Amino acid sequence: MKNLNKSIAKMLVLVGITCFASCSDFLERESDTILPEEQIFEDEVMIRSVLANYYGRVSWGQHIGDDYQYTILDEAGKSDGGPDNIQNYGNDLWRVYDYGLIRNINQFLQSLRESTALDEEDKQVYEGEARFLRAWTYFNMAKGLGGMPIVGDEVFEYEPSMDVTVLQYPRATEAGLYDYIIAECDAISPLLSDETNTHSARANKWTALMLKARAAIYAGSLANYNNKMPSPIRTPGGEVGIPADRAAGYYEQALAAAEDVIDNSPYELQLKKPDDLERNFYEVLSVKDGNTEVIWAQDRIYPGTGQQTAFTTRNIPGSHAEDIDRAYAGPILNLVEDYEYTDDRNGDIHIRDNEGNYIFYDDPLDAFANKDARLGGTVILPNAEFKGIPVELQAGQKVWNSGSWQTVIGQPGERDAAGRLLTSDNGPTRSNDQYINKTGFFFRKFLDEAAGASTRGRNSEMWFPRFRFAEAVLIAAEAAMELGQQPAAVGYINQIRDRAGIQPLTSVTLDDIIQERRVEFAFENHRYWDLKRFRRAHIVWNGVVNSPTAQQYALFPYLVVAPGTPNDGKYVFDRLVFSGSLHPRNFELRNYYNFIDLDWRNSNPKIVLNPFQ
Amino acid sequence: MRKYLNILLLPAIVAVSSCGLDNYDAPESKLVGQVVYNGEPVGVRGTGEAVQLQLYQDGYELRDPIPVYVGQDGTFEAKLFDGEYKLVTRDNNGPWVNDRDTTVINVKGTANVAVEVTPFYTLSNVQLSLNGSSADASFQINEVAGGRDIEYVMILVGKTSFVDDVSYTVRVDIDDVAAGSTVTDAIDLSNNTDFQSGRALYARVGLRPVGKDQAIYSQVVKLR
Repeated sequence: MKNLNKSIAKMLVLVGITCFASCSDFLERESDTILPEEQIFEDEVMIRSVLANYYGRVSWGQHIGDDYQYTILDEAGKSDGGPDNIQNYGNDLWRVYDYGLIRNINQFLQSLRESTALDEEDKQVYEGEARFLRAWTYFNMAKGLGGMPIVGDEVFEYEPSMDVTVLQYPRATEAGLYDYIIAECDAISPLLSDETNTHSARANKWTALMLKARAAIYAGSLANYNNKMPSPIRTPGGEVGIPADRAAGYYEQALAAAEDVIDNSPYELQLKKPDDLERNFYEVLSVKDGNTEVIWAQDRIYPGTGQQTAFTTRNIPGSHAEDIDRAYAGPILNLVEDYEYTDDRNGDIHIRDNEGNYIFYDDPLDAFANKDARLGGTVILPNAEFKGIPVELQAGQKVWNSGSWQTVIGQPGERDAAGRLLTSDNGPTRSNDQYINKTGFFFRKFLDEAAGASTRGRNSEMWFPRFRFAEAVLIAAEAAMELGQQPAAVGYINQIRDRAGIQPLTSVTLDDIIQERRVEFAFENHRYWDLKRFRRAHIVWNGVVNSPTAQQYALFPYLVVAPGTPNDGKYVFDRLVFSGSLHPRNFELRNYYNFIDLDWRNSNPKIVLNPFQ
Repeated sequence: MRKYLNILLLPAIVAVSSCGLDNYDAPESKLVGQVVYNGEPVGVRGTGEAVQLQLYQDGYELRDPIPVYVGQDGTFEAKLFDGEYKLVTRDNNGPWVNDRDTTVINVKGTANVAVEVTPFYTLSNVQLSLNGSSADASFQINEVAGGRDIEYVMILVGKTSFVDDVSYTVRVDIDDVAAGSTVTDAIDLSNNTDFQSGRALYARVGLRPVGKDQAIYSQVVKLR
């Protein structure tokens, strides 16, 4: 009996414990890793970190975080092994369709407007930045897809059994979307600060004006040049295709916005080293501290997980590498030859004389003397210095052998019996090997000079500028040219050419604008979009084998071995079809607009398809 | 003993029932056809999925088209389930007048269809031959639809039987040709490595109307 009582007592205790334990709200705890919205919008630091997340989600197209993208056009060539097999461009190349981000930004705006943690002035700045990022997202969608649905500040909530058709927005017209972007920029530029910020990482008033200028000049050139095609690309509803009569209005808006930046902003065409224009140009793009030209950039910092770029690690010359990686890609001759000489607009490298004989150079670098200073600031030329040490590029020897030149190529780093270098460790070669150059040139723009910047463990803090003062000047030049204001256009374009050390122009044509933008903005994600909006892409990248513009070319330097002749020990060059890309670039008419993903249309039948689809 | 029988029955049931709803046989029916003008096949670029037709089938929730790739001799083929399909050309694709009228096709076993298009130009009396180290070409340009100039005509020599504006070993473009005229040209192949190799060579000619994404081609001729 006693035992039984004991057992009952134990049982009761057990029941009691279970009962109490189960009554605690163990399963209903607040998460200590997920913060609810109210908590975030109570604190400025939290608000800022949410905004920082959006800043990290707006890199599309070509940028140094993905250097392979540079090799698919006519700026650089793939060198990390065997050749690429690009025969045409994908229907979704660099396509942006990020309504997830737009929704997040709209949620942010909704909560920000209700927040009591900020005073009105700060609130306006955050509102301006968020709306800027939204406009920038729309702009990136528009340049690939044309007009897309504009959802405004709407944050959609779906509940089962609701009518989904109210969530299905039709596409805006292409003009309508550009108008919306321009109107947003007008609305937010007064909200934003007009002062610069560290490394230009945050949007300010001038960033908004730059986006306005860029959107307006894109819309203007689309209205203009699309309608000059034999059969303009458009859809019946105007989702693609801007009426020609809108062009002048857009050009005027672009000119006004660009001139506002030129006249009133704290930025300038940076000229800190007037005695060394090459170095000056390198520093404009690749040195962050004290920069006075870059208006908005994706900034990077070390340390911090995932905050660096491997661009330098991957593309540094072998002779300068600090880790196993090197020479994944290199600029191609097509780009190098598009840089003019100071007094000759034809930038072809002089490698043969009129009789077809080699021209001999004492130093490989001499072949590039008197070139546009931007060339040396953008590309590491053979024997040019990087971090104070010359970058040796030698494909082989040209040996004078009973009346003809014989090409002798060795293994990288190999020397001949006389101890003279055959082929440099850096390359270039036509092999399928990894870690050796194949174009004859290395990147200089965005290549970081900091110690350790080319190691896998650290990588580089290099930023990626998205807007800079020179673009405002060239937008002004283009808009003025299109509006028939030649003196203004000449004045603007010559500011740019003057800083590059090349002869001024006396008149400006569209070809001059295309040429100037090509060399000024190489690797800055402009080339593809420029040729698209001028409707030149299918002409430049025409898919014809050995076409001077569609095929990729390399320039190989050779050491001359002709003992007893004055040319012994000099250098000559061969122009070769680039071995790292087998086919010419072929941009077809369907590539002017990305295709609409059919899944988008399945969930929203109001989406009409793009031309050629 | 019965216990064992029951155990054996279970996998049998699973096996039978699992073969129910979602396992279809692969489609067996076949749609074959050709893109034609006046009964003559229209030659196009046959590589790179360049020229496509689209098949739609009504009655389902989603309406994604099935792409049908047109070969260089204008033929196409698709394996389908029996049923009613709608066949259209792709928007602005091909060297013909853009016409997106639907052809309704009933596929049962095999269906044969001719897709009538109106090209801007046709090429006739095409003569392609190898004469020593020279490829001789002669052909006549006929305007059909009108309203579009000729961007260029091209003579193409290839080392495989697939020849078009991207697959070739020799390509000669000729501008400034007029409708109705006869184009003749001889291409010197003596420096061409594929000619020197002594292997097979094929040729065809093509014409690109201004502002169209594709050229119209003659049929491929084997030169040697």
